[in-house]
Amino acid sequence: MEEPINRSQGGESDMECSDNECYEEYYYDLNDDSDIEQVDPSKKDPEHFEYKCLLEEQVERLLNETVERLSNMLDITPSLAKVLLHSHSWNNNEIVTKYRENPTNLLVTSRIEPAVSSTITHNARYIHCPVCVTPQSLDKFYSLSCSHMFCKDCWTTHFEVQITQGISTTISCMARDCVVLAPEDFVLKHLTRPNMREKYQQFTFQDYVKSHPELRFCPGPNCSIVIHSKEMKAKRATCSQCKSIFCFRCGMNYHAPTDCLVIKKWLTKCADDSETANYISAHTKDCPKCHICIEKNGGCNHMQCYNCKHDFCWMCLGDWKSHGSEYYECSRYRENPNIAHESVHAQNVLFQAREALKKYLHYYERWENHSKSLKLEEQTLEKLRSRINQKVMSGLGTWIDWQYLFSAAGLLAKCRYTLQYTYPFAYYMDPGPRKELFEYQQAQLEAEIENLSWKIERAETTDRGDLENQMDIAEKRRTTLLKDFLDV
Amino acid sequence: MAALPRRIIKETQRLMQEPVPGISAVPDDSNARYFHVIVTGPEDSPFEGGLFKLELFLPEDYPMSAPKVRFITKIYHPNIDRLGRICLDILKDKWSPALQIRTVLLSIQALLSAPNPDDPLANDVAELWKVNESEAIRNAKEWTRRYAMDN
Repeated sequence: MEEPINRSQGGESDMECSDNECYEEYYYDLNDDSDIEQVDPSKKDPEHFEYKCLLEEQVERLLNETVERLSNMLDITPSLAKVLLHSHSWNNNEIVTKYRENPTNLLVTSRIEPAVSSTITHNARYIHCPVCVTPQSLDKFYSLSCSHMFCKDCWTTHFEVQITQGISTTISCMARDCVVLAPEDFVLKHLTRPNMREKYQQFTFQDYVKSHPELRFCPGPNCSIVIHSKEMKAKRATCSQCKSIFCFRCGMNYHAPTDCLVIKKWLTKCADDSETANYISAHTKDCPKCHICIEKNGGCNHMQCYNCKHDFCWMCLGDWKSHGSEYYECSRYRENPNIAHESVHAQNVLFQAREALKKYLHYYERWENHSKSLKLEEQTLEKLRSRINQKVMSGLGTWIDWQYLFSAAGLLAKCRYTLQYTYPFAYYMDPGPRKELFEYQQAQLEAEIENLSWKIERAETTDRGDLENQMDIAEKRRTTLLKDFLDV
Repeated sequence: MAALPRRIIKETQRLMQEPVPGISAVPDDSNARYFHVIVTGPEDSPFEGGLFKLELFLPEDYPMSAPKVRFITKIYHPNIDRLGRICLDILKDKWSPALQIRTVLLSIQALLSAPNPDDPLANDVAELWKVNESEAIRNAKEWTRRYAMDN
């Protein structure tokens, strides 16, 4: 079953309008949507985003098609194709190019083949498994491409222990210092317990979706929808099942015009007051490569990310490989701020800190204020609903007659949401003419939004045309700001 | 408690019959997965002459998971912290089920011969080891004499 493509709703076109405007819009739309002259919709609407909401089976089909294509092209098993695709962000072309250049190199760096091939031959009919030290007949032994032989039972236990720890696509051979990965067919051949097989398949599926740049899990609680888009950008996606709205690139709440890294920084900063945030900032850092949050629970500063296996220094977050002797520069910087000793300097620092706090509070108050207004306006909408109900019951117009009020409230929420997210953007902007322009547009948007909110609250006494005019202005201001500053 | 796996029985037997020079590992009377370990300080190291007590525990899924090892005797070493925890790759991400108690203890002994201050667990110790090696070695000798020689 094919889900319809969800398009972001840019210019609200379903609102009622006067006859003249309607004609204009009719002709305008006719031009815009004609099949002859294709206009790039993202030019008109900066938030335009094409994506599909897929069910698990659909994602599996999509992945399998890619796997099959590669497996046919290179004449390898689907399992090995999966290993290659997973380690190359599902970039088929890159794999094929690398394969044509140097197949051995590709297979070694993708941990499919060992760097040094060994041919261990066993002549005896019975051998000892190096792990369980039990003598068994040779036909009970299995090995990966590296020829390290272990008995069937030990492979099974090894896989079960790894899967219990949540590891699936990165399980390697049991031999010391051997990095060859166990491909899916090999693992499944040794897993007999149905719940283990199920867990393994569930974990590999999650790993595949996470490594695929065109896919993202819906962040909604207990939602299994996966969003698929060819545009790998920080755009707004709405889940067709649980209606969660989020950024396609980072999975957080949608945050235009602010970008993914900045909003993360901002939200962490805002949460700084809470105890959890204090703990997180004191004890955790994000992996410099995959940005997963890591808690340091031991003393050693040589860290290896559990998620992406990147080696780095806890102190400076630099790559561990290029580290060597500079190491202690990191700890010296942290332990010796060198400033507290000088009192004049200290006062300066204090002053700067106070100024920084003042600036932060300026933006935070506005951010928080709009967030509260959004919630209050939800209540207004509820009240509106009951007032309209009363009106309809007492014969003052029909339900349909009053629908424009709902679209007005919806538009207000959308505009205010964008306005809220302009504050972190401005906070991190460098001073200069561009920031001035931004803050000018922001102020304009803010003024029109407050106007609109005021008019919706007094909907009965506001002229409908007046309200619709205000809606149009607010949305135009919003789109203009995004067109100028949304950079995805 | 489940029966002891053949692997652990074999390893224990071999540790008793052909002990590694300079290392003794004896299973506890009441728990065959818990070992009392004594490592002698390697020659030509600041730990020479010392007897270092360690504890070693084989978790339920050993050998699929690494043994847990800790120094009980206080030791001045950049890769061993105040609580006796050891920074050693094969005890963490480089563990392989093909490794054994014997290989782990040998690696720990080798770590005493060759401290690695670039990958430190005890920061203050490691710092001194890099900045002023002779003083660090003096400290290590002093600690060895004070904590690892009496008993």
